[in-house]
Amino acid sequence: MDLLEYQAKELFREMGIPVLPSQRIDHPSDLKGLRIPYPIALKSQVRVGGRGKAGGVKFVENTIDAVAAAQAIFHLPIMGEYPQVVLAESKYDADQEFYLAVILDRAARRPVLLGSIKGGIDAEATLEYIQLVSVDEEFSPFYARRLALKMGLQGELIESVSGIVQKMYQLFIQKDLDLVEINPLGISATGQVMALDGKVSANDEALGRHPELATLASKMSKRAKDEEIPPALANQNFVQLDGNIAIICNGAGLTMATLDLVCFTGGQPANFLNISPLSNEAGWGVASYDSIPGNPLPKEVEGWNEYLEQALELATQNKNVKVVLVNILGSVTLCEETAVAIETYLKRRESSSRTRSVLHFIVRLVGGNLSAAKQRLSAIKVPLVEDLEEAVAKAVDKAKAVVGY
Amino acid sequence: MSFKADSKVLIQGIAQTLGSTHAALMKAYGTNVVAGVSAGKGGQTLHDIPVFDMVDQALPVVGPVDITAIFAPAYLVLDAALEAIAAGIRQIIIITEGVPPLDMVRLVAKAEATDTLVIGPSCPGVIVPGKVLLGTHPSEFYIPGPVGLISRSGTLTYEIARELTRSGLGQSTCVGIGGDAIVGSSFQQWLQILEEDDATEVIVLVGEIGGASEEAAARYIDEAIDKPVIAYIAGHHAPKGRRLGHAGAIITAGLADLGADVGTAESKMAAFKQAKVPVAQRASQIPDLVKKVLKKSGHKKK
Repeated sequence: MDLLEYQAKELFREMGIPVLPSQRIDHPSDLKGLRIPYPIALKSQVRVGGRGKAGGVKFVENTIDAVAAAQAIFHLPIMGEYPQVVLAESKYDADQEFYLAVILDRAARRPVLLGSIKGGIDAEATLEYIQLVSVDEEFSPFYARRLALKMGLQGELIESVSGIVQKMYQLFIQKDLDLVEINPLGISATGQVMALDGKVSANDEALGRHPELATLASKMSKRAKDEEIPPALANQNFVQLDGNIAIICNGAGLTMATLDLVCFTGGQPANFLNISPLSNEAGWGVASYDSIPGNPLPKEVEGWNEYLEQALELATQNKNVKVVLVNILGSVTLCEETAVAIETYLKRRESSSRTRSVLHFIVRLVGGNLSAAKQRLSAIKVPLVEDLEEAVAKAVDKAKAVVGY
Repeated sequence: MSFKADSKVLIQGIAQTLGSTHAALMKAYGTNVVAGVSAGKGGQTLHDIPVFDMVDQALPVVGPVDITAIFAPAYLVLDAALEAIAAGIRQIIIITEGVPPLDMVRLVAKAEATDTLVIGPSCPGVIVPGKVLLGTHPSEFYIPGPVGLISRSGTLTYEIARELTRSGLGQSTCVGIGGDAIVGSSFQQWLQILEEDDATEVIVLVGEIGGASEEAAARYIDEAIDKPVIAYIAGHHAPKGRRLGHAGAIITAGLADLGADVGTAESKMAAFKQAKVPVAQRASQIPDLVKKVLKKSGHKKK
């Protein structure tokens, strides 16, 4: 989860990383109560990059100009995102601008420190100047000094810049972050350092042990205009595309493989949904519960019906969906439960007062004795296919026949 | 690596629903599950497996343990793994999903210092068909055979194993190394393990978009692997910038906004092509490609 600049700067302030006096502006009229002196910078608070170039940062000298600038920024989408908040911040005269970051190197499986003496707006241009220090063992401040020296810093800048890097690293570890970035770090003519812009990405997996970050996340997600996703599916991966075949699978890899197969076969996916809560206590789809004599069905598996029904509801919201391809690789039990869920969903859909277009289902299930699932599905005229290629070919053919492409 | 039929196996988090279910399945497959650990449940018995409060208490009773499978909740996984390492266990399989990456950074450092093999997290574990099941692989999809299978995903591994089984090929050892951004064991480590494994004649590597581990694996195959390798990449048509369940399966620049171009299906395909590794476009093509290389290497059907 990416935090907004003003939220990142609050964390910087707590850590003792110097930031400019600033104030959060929720509405242009808030500028009348501004507590920081002019001149100021007004900065659009969006999570996407390239905001300066897009006109999302404006410098102003007085309230009249500030209100006009704020109005313009509130109405300026940057890569499709409108700001909910604008940050008013004191202006700073930087003599030089550096780039600093702490990130996780996935391949080396270690945090790395990055620094460049050519920071600022043009990140691409700074690339060749970037220096890298890998934190191979327990962190100690010498790693930060090593970076400062590699960047080519001398004199007092070694201590002041490495001091910032050290605090960034502490923040990174304390809050389980994926990224802490300061770009630019402003250096004044007298050698003072100031974090002029900052980016912080929290790790989603770790949010549960950082309630303060989770709160920020929930505030931000309320503002997002996402589809209405039922809570049980909120953490699953639902991706909207613009075709006509809805794809529901269990497992990320299998979902991607099925999506690829539909595309390779000439089909057009409307969306895809991965419903594989491996982290879920029940471990749906990964076990043959009934292959052990006397092992009762875990209670949670009973929830699979409802869960799959919600998934079907979500995947078929879009009117463009003509064909639903369900690909579930699981146990015998799961197969029958899947058939029950599809049956329930279709019955409810039929009896719904809303007139809806016809949906064609192709269900691919494997796991063992499928006869129970097969019986249920054939009673409602839904084909059950065991072979993935065949299921995909059927789904694509159906979609072509319905849509006529 | 020693994943043998008689390897002694511990289950940490055996009182969790997932742990309990799979402990029973592993035992039913013939895996030598000697004990379970779950704080507060010591003294009980689950599926005829004695349960202890701590690893330390289990070992004096059941003797040295070769492998532990961890089903503990995500935020307790690091602690459980450190507990196992402290007790002298050197092969750890983490099934749990959602372990924070910085916990894995600590665990990986500890594993390197103690020469411990860590598999996962977010993985289906290891199966040596006909011998031992260590994780969540649905065993009915597997039969013994010459193909070593390494993958980042769970259900896709089952799908490909099933394809191999249906073509009469079967598998030597199958491992899901985990879908997270930071996992304990790499493709390279497993390529080396299968290279040295006598039962493996050909290796199938199942990759997906995101990260650079397939690119690194391709370079390693070129340099160090003599056995034939077949690759498959999932996610050609996945939209950019969306996380797809696996924390690793997202196409973003390698280093923040610095624009490094790795992680796409194209970059992975190119890397395998460079290493002269045939790449299957569809999972169903894998058995044919395997048969082709087996024929070339003079494999005789027993």
